[in-house]
Amino acid sequence: MIILENIQMALQSLKTNPLRSALTLTGIAVGIGAVLYVVILGEITQQRINERLESLGSNVLLIRPGYSRLRGVRTAAIYTNLKWDEAKEIKTTSNVITLTVPTYTDQGVAEFKDQNWSTRITGTTPEYETINNDHPIEGRFFSEDELNRKSRVCLLGATVHEKLFGNLSPIGESILINSKRFTVIGLLGSKGESWHNPDNQIFIPLTTAQERLYGADYLTSILAQMRSADDYDESLFDIETILRRNHRLRPDQDNDFRVRRQDLYLSTVRETNIEIANFIIIIALVSLIVGGIGVANVMLVTVTERTREIGIRRAIGAKKFHILTQFLVEAMILGIIGGILGIVGCMGFNYFFTGIGLNIPLDWIGYSFIICFGIGSIAGLYPAFQAANKNVIDALRYE
Amino acid sequence: MTMLIEMNNVYKTYVLGEVKVPALHAISLEVEDNEYVAIMGPSGSGKSTLMNIMGCLDTPTSGSYNLGRKDVGGLNDNQLSDIRNTKIGFVFQTFNLLPRTTALHNVELPLIYSGMSSFKRKQLAMDVLERVGLSDRIMHKPNELSGGERQRVAIARALVNKPSLILADEPTGNLDSKTGEEIIEIMQSLCEQGNTIILVTHEEYIAKQTNRIIRLRDGIIEGDEN
Repeated sequence: MIILENIQMALQSLKTNPLRSALTLTGIAVGIGAVLYVVILGEITQQRINERLESLGSNVLLIRPGYSRLRGVRTAAIYTNLKWDEAKEIKTTSNVITLTVPTYTDQGVAEFKDQNWSTRITGTTPEYETINNDHPIEGRFFSEDELNRKSRVCLLGATVHEKLFGNLSPIGESILINSKRFTVIGLLGSKGESWHNPDNQIFIPLTTAQERLYGADYLTSILAQMRSADDYDESLFDIETILRRNHRLRPDQDNDFRVRRQDLYLSTVRETNIEIANFIIIIALVSLIVGGIGVANVMLVTVTERTREIGIRRAIGAKKFHILTQFLVEAMILGIIGGILGIVGCMGFNYFFTGIGLNIPLDWIGYSFIICFGIGSIAGLYPAFQAANKNVIDALRYE
Repeated sequence: MTMLIEMNNVYKTYVLGEVKVPALHAISLEVEDNEYVAIMGPSGSGKSTLMNIMGCLDTPTSGSYNLGRKDVGGLNDNQLSDIRNTKIGFVFQTFNLLPRTTALHNVELPLIYSGMSSFKRKQLAMDVLERVGLSDRIMHKPNELSGGERQRVAIARALVNKPSLILADEPTGNLDSKTGEEIIEIMQSLCEQGNTIILVTHEEYIAKQTNRIIRLRDGIIEGDEN
């Protein structure tokens, strides 16, 4: 009963000072909105990384050129020591490696009509489609035959497609890559943001990249598929044996290449991501606490301003408890309304500016609500106690 | 006649820093039901202190105060609040209405704290406002009312809980003499309806209309005339 009265009284008192109430609400709203926004962003990034992890599979190794070291001293960076023949040799020699895919990646400029876009050009073999589980959403991958004939065909990543063609279908169109004419035969689906945007890429046959575009005889990486993830140690041993022998490394020299499991790499990315997200959440929480201090401040002012009202209420029979709850409820309502504004504001911001849409996780809306309610209560507690413990006679005479 | 107020040897001393300031000195008095009493005295004579103690806003330093045969001295804050809520109606010189709140809500307020249901207390508050002649003003806020009307709202608020004692602290002090007389007339009629009223005033002519005048000076009862 009294609670209902208190809510009515609180709303009325908030209406009395619209600007002050609005500013206080903004403090809470901005705080909770920031927290919510960061949380959502973090969750969406996690989701995308997880999706990529699933599509990669845990049995693919990534071999890249690395530093040559002599007795712990880095001697020179060698980026040209991985060869296509070695990729073939690893596949044929090793019992546990079932497939290798060589890639050569370099910078390039793609042009279509009056549009041009600087991007990464990746030359590879048709098996790239299988090993990465990355099928074109339109058109097709290039064939073994096209690889052998050094055909000038290409597949576009989603970003490149958007930059050059917008919404139009690129299949069959002819574009320029580094001023050489290519026919678009396929379009790859979006894989989402990551450190290197995997969508900002054009795929062409490896032979075409090496011989026609860049005049390179080396690879920038080799993907190696193991029979299963359990074969890691044996696969690593086979790769090291073959490459060290080919590169004529002495036993006291370190590997001049690096081998990494793709999924482990992404797991690290994921963990780093979580750490960064948590850190930003803490910063956002600080702004929420500042909002709470704003509520406490306004409540202290309100209590002083309404000293006489407190005296009147006490004189006609209000108990300390009644005064305490009256002001506590007012602070809670500030918190709750601020929370609602923050949640709605965050949804609006997402909808209009980030393109994430309105899909805020329900549980987080619930948490935000509870957090705002809690902050309002804590901020209101001390001012409410002050109000309840005022001397009645002094309060009645207060001017 | 039953006894409503029994004060026995009541002292009140304020401590300001290390100085003790005596406000009331061995006050003993009795007020019966349905009496109409005026308390007079120069400022600093202890009138307000006496009123505060009678109204359970303050407690005596020593001595006993029985209100309706109940010893008020040993009560805690919550119990005193209950007594103020149900047994006492205050009328102040400065009206002390809640600003930005309608006359109706102001009158309802004591009933909110006594826990009455919304419907019942609205009914009751409107009845009382009608008795003081304000039935056409119930949705007006204090700043939309004249001084006399404000004081009548305050009287309605004091009456709404059917208190056994009405304490009026210079109720005409902030009013011109014509509206002051109207208020005194209302007081008179309340007394005729069976209420007990204790009134603090500076005006001899107002005091004359009561049945009994208690004169205070320096915290001591100087005179008690019928």
